Amino acid sequence: MFFLQSLLSGILTGGVYALAGIGMSLVFGVMNISNFAHGDLMMLGMYMAYFAFTLLHIDPYLSLVLIIPTAFLFGFVLEKVFIHRIISHPHQNQILLTIGLGLIMSNSALLGFTSDPKILTTSYSSSAVHIAGGISLSVPLLLSFVITCGITGVLFLFLSKTTTGLALWATSQNREAAQLMGINVAKMSALAFGLGTALAATAGALIAPTYYIHPMAGHTFLLKAFTICVLGGLGSVVGAGVGGVIIGVVESMSSTYLSSDWKDVVVFIIFLMVLLFRPQGLFGKKGEQ
Amino acid sequence: MIEHLLHINHVCKHFGGNVAVSDISFSVDEKQIFGLIGPNGAGKTTLFNCISGFFPVTSGDIIFDNKIINKLRPDEVCHLGMARTWQRVKPLGSLTVLENVMIGAFSITNATRKAEEIAFEQLGLVGLSDYATKPAGSLSIGLKKKLELARVLATRPKMLLLDEICGGLNLTETDTILDIIREVRRKGATIVFIEHDMKAVTAICDWIVVLNSGEKLAEGRPEEITRNPDVIEAYLGGGQNA
Amino acid sequence: MKQVTIIAIIAGIAAVLPLVTGESPYFIGVMISVLMMAALSSAWNILGGYAGQYSFGHAAYFGAGAYTTLIMISTFNFNPLGGMVAGIIVACIIALVTGSIVFRLRGHYFGLASIAVAEIVRLSALNFEFTGGAQGILLSDVSLWGVDLNSKLPFYYGMLLVLVVSLGITLYMRSSKTGFYLQAIREDQDAAASLGINLSFYKNKALLISAALTSVLGSLYAVYIRFIDTSAVLDLRLSIEIILTAIIGGVGTLWGPAVGAVLLVPLAEVLRSNVIGEALVKHGIVSEKSGLGIFFKDNLAHAHVLVYGIITVLCILYLPKGILGLFRRTK
Repeated sequence: MFFLQSLLSGILTGGVYALAGIGMSLVFGVMNISNFAHGDLMMLGMYMAYFAFTLLHIDPYLSLVLIIPTAFLFGFVLEKVFIHRIISHPHQNQILLTIGLGLIMSNSALLGFTSDPKILTTSYSSSAVHIAGGISLSVPLLLSFVITCGITGVLFLFLSKTTTGLALWATSQNREAAQLMGINVAKMSALAFGLGTALAATAGALIAPTYYIHPMAGHTFLLKAFTICVLGGLGSVVGAGVGGVIIGVVESMSSTYLSSDWKDVVVFIIFLMVLLFRPQGLFGKKGEQ
Repeated sequence: MIEHLLHINHVCKHFGGNVAVSDISFSVDEKQIFGLIGPNGAGKTTLFNCISGFFPVTSGDIIFDNKIINKLRPDEVCHLGMARTWQRVKPLGSLTVLENVMIGAFSITNATRKAEEIAFEQLGLVGLSDYATKPAGSLSIGLKKKLELARVLATRPKMLLLDEICGGLNLTETDTILDIIREVRRKGATIVFIEHDMKAVTAICDWIVVLNSGEKLAEGRPEEITRNPDVIEAYLGGGQNA
Repeated sequence: MKQVTIIAIIAGIAAVLPLVTGESPYFIGVMISVLMMAALSSAWNILGGYAGQYSFGHAAYFGAGAYTTLIMISTFNFNPLGGMVAGIIVACIIALVTGSIVFRLRGHYFGLASIAVAEIVRLSALNFEFTGGAQGILLSDVSLWGVDLNSKLPFYYGMLLVLVVSLGITLYMRSSKTGFYLQAIREDQDAAASLGINLSFYKNKALLISAALTSVLGSLYAVYIRFIDTSAVLDLRLSIEIILTAIIGGVGTLWGPAVGAVLLVPLAEVLRSNVIGEALVKHGIVSEKSGLGIFFKDNLAHAHVLVYGIITVLCILYLPKGILGLFRRTK
């Protein structure tokens, strides 16, 4: 039953991708910035989980309790110190700044942790759950998916039920209007970037038990995260969630039916197709070019 | 029978569910100075964008110089002889004033020297010769509007679409612009104005069309329009100073 | 002094440099890298600095030139020049396809799409057999009309020639209709269109010129090094490095890219060869066996990218118009 196996694995992985995508989409919606350091933030999350496990002996999923606030703070500070200054600069300069920050992060990691891939093996890293129809689902993937759903749920509640969350949501829909309504958009930007960073780091920590951890690991995820955002609609949190799952499934299917070498190409081709034929994505606003 | 230079034929423009322009029809004759007025949000700039090729029309036809121009790109519209200015001025900021106008001139010549000549000529016409080497971004709003005018004039258009060219200008500046417009018409061009400034409009226009909420409210000579009770109501009711 | 004269003088100096410095292979090697990066950035600058379209995937054209040339030489027995011409054709095809997708887009979408296209090219080269897959392509024997291609000199002059051509094209263009039009597109696309500029035509024109020049450099590199693989010629990092070089020197200026290359390439070389670390050890400031000494020895070589990152951030924040941008407005 390759199809179902592929589909389910894809959905599970897609969940984690979705987390990375949601973080990026939030930043994009609130600040209108493409964060090219997003992948490297994921990489930092991977390393944080690794060190929490090897030095402090905390299970990677439990270490989220530490990682999320730390990453949030890191992102918040990054925004205040660097990103804030270029909010009204031309797009290309914004991209280059985030690229520069990303290079600093990945190469500091290279200097500090060397390029030897680290492996985070927990007792259940290779365990699988067997369900009906001969399908096996990897335990780490299952746990990640469950946690992702939980976090997404909390995020959703935050954005729709709390005052700060609503303000953030409003800013991501229309920054100018939000400002006119008296919302402190500078504060919202820092908040959004902090959240985006926390989500990226979380995604990193969640996949740490199943991927090689090395300084350049973030780069693979960067374009995927962008694809997810564009597919879902830049600025749409729901869209990024759906997009993440779709991309996860597409990758999984491509891997099974084509070959794992070409799965990335398929994702990028989808990216270009979306840009060509439906640039606003599934849930984005039309004419938002 | 007099051929109209521009014929707007039952043009509609919808953005999703939002009807910006609804069943507008009017004609502009050669060498006319034609006014398009109406309160904010009436659909005037949207109509300009449709005419100049920036928005596709939802339905209807736009006929310029006997050609249907609905499907043309903005640069193609320009090459047919219709040039437009922008409500929010678009100076090419890091180029000089002269270079800005040369861009316009290049639409009718390939030679840099000739473009320079044409540009100097237009700068002289609008009175910006002294500013030729200044970066366009450094000009005041009044001068930027003059620059827009000089730039489109360099394309030697048959028809000019001016979107609130007098917006943000004081009385003297407005009078200068109006004099330039009269001179331009004397040389054979046709002008369509979007304007809020009723004094300017009544002073210079031969014919006026009034839009309100995307529909044509009235049309006629300036004297008739200023006395039209529906027009007065639309302006006062819509919160706009007449 | 006219710019043409300046180009001629600097080209002249560069031309005699190898003869004056005693043809030290190491020095010439570094100079080749400088000239190549200067030419790459200058070619990119035509599209990025003048037309304002920042392509984040220019490595695709470099790689197209490199791969096509080596494939033509080793599989079809072309001579290097023939391979170079084939490379230009392939690069232009990729450019036209890219342009048709990417030039409808604005802002963020444009940059992202250019990366996507470049990555598709890279992954294709990585996965197809005729491009050597992950092993790349190794060139065993190559000759061109009796010119000794084992020496570095032909490649030095080759890179210099492309740089001069690129500068020359930029110079000619910026005072011609095309140059004016590209700058108008950079400043405000809607205004440009309303003034009669066919956006798609001119953007593609700039892209084709830029891609062709980049491809020639890729061909030269391939025959120079005799070995290429995707990480050497199609990597995103190369695309980024090209842009950074132009930014730091001054985007949209004639000499900016060259200035950027002259600064950054030797800096990278100094870091990569651990000259600093060795100097510190030699003068007794740092002991070779100490932690710091070992750290320098093992790691400073990797630090050049970190330094690039720091320079980029500082540049964008404090010197967005680059070094030359300080001296004059964008021309």
